[in-house]
Amino acid sequence: MQPFATMNSGYLLRAENISKSFPGVKALDNVQLHVEKGKVHAVMGENGAGKSTLMKILIGMYTPDAGRIIYKGKPVFFNAVHDALKTGFAMIHQELMPFPELSVAENIYMGNEPLKSFPGWINRKKQNRDAQLLMEKLGLKIAVTRRMKTLSVAEMQMVEMAKALSNKAEIIIMDEPTSALSDRETAVLFNLIRELKAQGIAIIYISHKMDEILQIADTITVMRDGKHIATCPAGTISNEQLISLIVGRALDTIFKKRAVVPGETALSVKGLTGKKFKDIDFSLRRGEVLGIAGLMGAGRSEVVNTIFGLEKPTAGTIMVKGKAVVIRSPRDAIQLGIGLITEDRKKEGLVLSGTVKQNITLAALKTCCSGPFIDVQKERSIAKRQIQQFAIKVSSGNQVVNYLSGGNQQKVVLAKVLLNDPDILILDEPTRGIDIGAKAEIYKLMNEQVSKGKAIILISSELPEILGMSDRIMVMHEGRITAELTGAEATQEKIMQYAMQ
Amino acid sequence: MNMNLSKIKLPSGYLSKYGIFIAFLGICVLLSLTTPYFFTPQNILIILRQVSINGILAIGVTFVIIAGGIDLSLGSVLALTGVVAASFAHPGTYPLIVPVLLGIGVGILVGAVNGLTITVGRVAPFIVTLGMMTIARGLALVWSNGRPVTNLSPAFNDIGGGDLLHIPVPILLFVLVIIISAVILKYTRTGRYIYAVGGNENAARASGIRINRVKLFAYIICGGLAGLAGIVLAARITTGQPNAGIAYELDAIAAVVIGGTSLMGGRGSIAGTVIGVLIIGVINNGLDLLNVTSYYQQIIKGVIIISAVLLDRKNAQ
Amino acid sequence: MKFCSIFSLLITGYLLSGCNPGANQDGGKSIVVGASMLSLQSEFVVNVKDAMENYAGENGVKLIVNDAQRTADKQVQQIETFISQKVDAIILNPCEVEASSPAVEKAKAAGIPVINVNSETSATPDGFVGSDDEESGTIAMEQIAKLLGGKGNIVIIDGYMGQAAQIKRAIGAKRILEKYPDINVLAEQTAEWDRAKAMSLMENWIQSYGDKINAVFAHNDEMGMGALQALEQAKLKDKVVVVSIDAIADALQAVKDGRLDATVYQDAKGQGEGAVDMAVKLARKEPVENKSVFIPFQLVTKENIASFLK
Repeated sequence: MQPFATMNSGYLLRAENISKSFPGVKALDNVQLHVEKGKVHAVMGENGAGKSTLMKILIGMYTPDAGRIIYKGKPVFFNAVHDALKTGFAMIHQELMPFPELSVAENIYMGNEPLKSFPGWINRKKQNRDAQLLMEKLGLKIAVTRRMKTLSVAEMQMVEMAKALSNKAEIIIMDEPTSALSDRETAVLFNLIRELKAQGIAIIYISHKMDEILQIADTITVMRDGKHIATCPAGTISNEQLISLIVGRALDTIFKKRAVVPGETALSVKGLTGKKFKDIDFSLRRGEVLGIAGLMGAGRSEVVNTIFGLEKPTAGTIMVKGKAVVIRSPRDAIQLGIGLITEDRKKEGLVLSGTVKQNITLAALKTCCSGPFIDVQKERSIAKRQIQQFAIKVSSGNQVVNYLSGGNQQKVVLAKVLLNDPDILILDEPTRGIDIGAKAEIYKLMNEQVSKGKAIILISSELPEILGMSDRIMVMHEGRITAELTGAEATQEKIMQYAMQ
Repeated sequence: MNMNLSKIKLPSGYLSKYGIFIAFLGICVLLSLTTPYFFTPQNILIILRQVSINGILAIGVTFVIIAGGIDLSLGSVLALTGVVAASFAHPGTYPLIVPVLLGIGVGILVGAVNGLTITVGRVAPFIVTLGMMTIARGLALVWSNGRPVTNLSPAFNDIGGGDLLHIPVPILLFVLVIIISAVILKYTRTGRYIYAVGGNENAARASGIRINRVKLFAYIICGGLAGLAGIVLAARITTGQPNAGIAYELDAIAAVVIGGTSLMGGRGSIAGTVIGVLIIGVINNGLDLLNVTSYYQQIIKGVIIISAVLLDRKNAQ
Repeated sequence: MKFCSIFSLLITGYLLSGCNPGANQDGGKSIVVGASMLSLQSEFVVNVKDAMENYAGENGVKLIVNDAQRTADKQVQQIETFISQKVDAIILNPCEVEASSPAVEKAKAAGIPVINVNSETSATPDGFVGSDDEESGTIAMEQIAKLLGGKGNIVIIDGYMGQAAQIKRAIGAKRILEKYPDINVLAEQTAEWDRAKAMSLMENWIQSYGDKINAVFAHNDEMGMGALQALEQAKLKDKVVVVSIDAIADALQAVKDGRLDATVYQDAKGQGEGAVDMAVKLARKEPVENKSVFIPFQLVTKENIASFLK
């Protein structure tokens, strides 16, 4: 809001007048970012606002077209990520990049292994011991000899942070660190951040979550469309003010209440048991949203994946529209009128190398075909209709999905799944890592489906989302249902209580 | 050879889309300038006839590579189907259709075994087809007792050396395979599923696609086309050779990669593969015409292949 | 490829008639011979192996045949296995001149007689039955020079570059070319022993040299047949002489039909039988007069083809 004129020698990092263009896009336009030692500086903005580009410049992945970076009073220039790491920068990416087959300790010390006196030999004992100390310091109970691939997303993230610490970073950039974390894990993270602050480490914190930002940040910078919009102390701004700065307009309430009377039972599950869950009973009616809450690893995703045929149940029955069914594969599920938006859109939702059109029609290609041949015209018009209906921001249906923003990618997944017009729609963390505008659109789409008499299951780790959208809330803990609450009686506190039992 | 080419400045949009095609034209122009024998109708026909065997193989393996797999058994399958077909093609024994169907049939069978082991048996394609490479070679040697199968009927030999409507039969077969394959990949559901499975197997499965069937289809097409190529080769050299086609899979895979198909799967096209096949064929022919020493030929070939792909990738960024 | 050495039927015939190793002077205990062959994917080597097996069978010798698959390393391992099996004699059809030598030395160190068949190693074995590959190149090129009347343009299709057979055949041919200054080599290129590759190569040469080519020398019959087919398709065969080496069945038939002008014969049967014969003698410590049997190659033309066709 107020221009940044004062030169403050206390700044650890000053990024001044940074500009960066990509073919056809001005990603950053004269952006400023001043970070103080020992403070958490939140950077907010919708997807595509330029946050990621700015961070990639700070960490040396991109070079800016104009502007300079001043670190500890001296201009620095990073040719590569390696330079930035050496200078004392670290970044924890939203998309983690672990070495899945290596141990936790090996991941932490990758590129920085403790060596034995004989050249080239790694001192494994020391490596494991150091890693163990680091984990204890972070209050984490992860065995450092475990293979990375056996860890949950949250645990992998913790390991990434441990790695940043081991590199003696003085500035740590965190890109959506909590998007895959449960509330308890988030609390652990925040404690850790506070400790880092006390040690004088500066944190640049990117997040879409208002409550988190207001809780942890000292300073907030808002960006929009590649421009610096405002920087202000966290205490001086309200939630609403912040949202209007981010989206550039005032938002009405995000969650609109529906006036739908639930109808007949669409899906019921009895005694469903799998590898990571046991004796799951619930039923779902048309025109209803059933929320499933719980911590990471509570078995929520496994339950819906089993209903969709991605995993095999060991016991129990599934009834769709009153008839007991056997679902061996997603193909069976789709034919029974079930649609699933998977937890990880890049892993299970999208063919990233394919175009928007190809992805949208993938699950319902038969409807665009005559015989074995694809009706090109029909496919194009169907894709066009879906793109408009779901407000996917693309120049054409032939754009490759890989280059879309998270929100747009998620809308492509929705457009794909809903093209089959499923009666039962399951959404597993549908708004993870996407901006407020896109979230609101996804909620709107959910409400539309419900008012058409569809049944929805919503899994989310964001409690406001679960509370705002669900008619009923089922809470899971370690593979079992611990509570079923009506929308009226549920509160954040109650849910957490049952989730943590 | 490519140095001159890279200096030519073209609008970047063009290069990114047609980079490899421009590289191909560049090589052709260069050869036309350096030898008068290159750009003649007769020589072009000869090049096309020479590339048709590698071309048919390369198109087959394009299916597999787009589906996220690989097939290293091509050269051996070529030999196996060649000797099997040849042993049913002696003059005055069976009608022509018998060796042709048997050759393709054996190819399909091998492809199906590859595909089933990979999908149902869940073994990595590299390993399965590496194993099949030696199995098929062994079967070819067993079938033929290690000796070439000779004395083939003129009708059979015409598949490799004859003309139809003044066009060599191998070229006609190659063109037919190109058209059918391009249609399958671009305009059928199965074709689309092949891209989806190669691009993201999990997403394809979650979209209700029977991924095992799709992969099996790709390996069967690949095997069947290797069978066809084996017949054309046996007919061209008028013998079924149990030791024919050693390392042919490498030329085929090279052509596919030059043509812009990703070895990671999910991306590629028949048109690209055809250009890749032509680049390799034109280089072989051109270097012979220029009488470049054998030792240098190998080096130049490798350099051109890498530069062509480099040029393509650089411009695609 | 076919590591040529030829056998003259006459000489081996003579040698063999002298004694029959099958006669059980040992009183029942049959001799065991281990053989490591260059490659059982090569038609010529298969012919040698068949001759060895037949001859061994007829004479009550137990023969173990291993395929070294053109890998010297594998060949050495096979010899080591033979040594531990305590065979009475070893026949080695070497993969390479240098790299297969340790196999010979190991057998000698173990006191087992070792006979090289078909081609040489740098280590000296106890016996050798085969021929000098250079001679095949000499004979073939001499025939080309004769058919061209000592002058004209030729092209040469090489075997796999760097292999012993390719090198020796090229040396033999070059020796003759030096005698005929009017024979001009237009082009020389490898087709890697492969018929399809030779055919493509010849097609390309026809484009650039056309009817300037008077003769083709191919290092083996497979490539010779490929060149022949390319020439026939271009309707140039009656103007061009084609000569190659090995006398495989296909090539002999082509000579008989007047398509191929000549091939050079090496006697697989004689080599195989000779090797087994010498192996048995050495195993029984019987005297062997000539421990180094060189068998001349023979030119096969339409005139003498009848004696080579069975």
